[in-house]
Amino acid sequence: MINEFNLTCVMKNDVLVITTEGYINNAGGEKISQEFDPHFQNGVTKLLIDMEGSKVVNSIGISFLIEIIEKLNEKKGILYFSNLDPSVEKTFTIMGLFQFAEKVSSVEEIK
Amino acid sequence: MDQHIKLEVKLPKVHDIELVALEGLQLMGHHLGITEEKIGEARILVTEGIINALEHSGSDIPYVNVDFTMTKEKLIILITDFGKGFIPSDVEEPTIIGKLGSESKRGWGLKLMKSMSDGFEIDSSENGTKITITKNIA
Repeated sequence: MINEFNLTCVMKNDVLVITTEGYINNAGGEKISQEFDPHFQNGVTKLLIDMEGSKVVNSIGISFLIEIIEKLNEKKGILYFSNLDPSVEKTFTIMGLFQFAEKVSSVEEIK
Repeated sequence: MDQHIKLEVKLPKVHDIELVALEGLQLMGHHLGITEEKIGEARILVTEGIINALEHSGSDIPYVNVDFTMTKEKLIILITDFGKGFIPSDVEEPTIIGKLGSESKRGWGLKLMKSMSDGFEIDSSENGTKITITKNIA
């Protein structure tokens, strides 16, 4: 069975790295947003979401990521993704997320 | 004739119930030796189809029927809800530009199902909506 959603969060230099595990649905997307918000209020403008542990997403969960992109755009920040499952990457491509977000292989790639 | 396997489930309007269908899809795919990449894309189609149907299923019959027919080449997904229906041409196609700055960031289900499938049909009336999705999985 697909596991419950969990996340871990760490700052690496000026990048907030959120590593997710499990289904990014409404609740999962909201948790990511809630984790991000206080850091954003404190001036963080680079967010990396490592999705190696999230092979299943839905568009309601992704709508929270669009909200994050919107906030980051206001501060000239950027959202990065790493370790995307090919089906998730295709989903993001169809939705146009990569017009405003970037794929990286690791946090070290972010300047 | 190609081997085909079927799964028919009636899903109640319960949080994350789409995961039940995904589990069946995964097992069927593995049984027929379908690649993880194709199963992954099918997962997105099934997820979007079910959450869309459950959202519009109404309160009188809060269930959706989900049927999968899978061969080594093709997956046919049939999702039926018993809500009040909708007019597909009235649904505006979302864009990321349009969603940024807009109140609602949702409404991507139909676009994802159309874009990721190899065939997509909607039959909707005041008695409910039937969505048929075809996905080549060879």
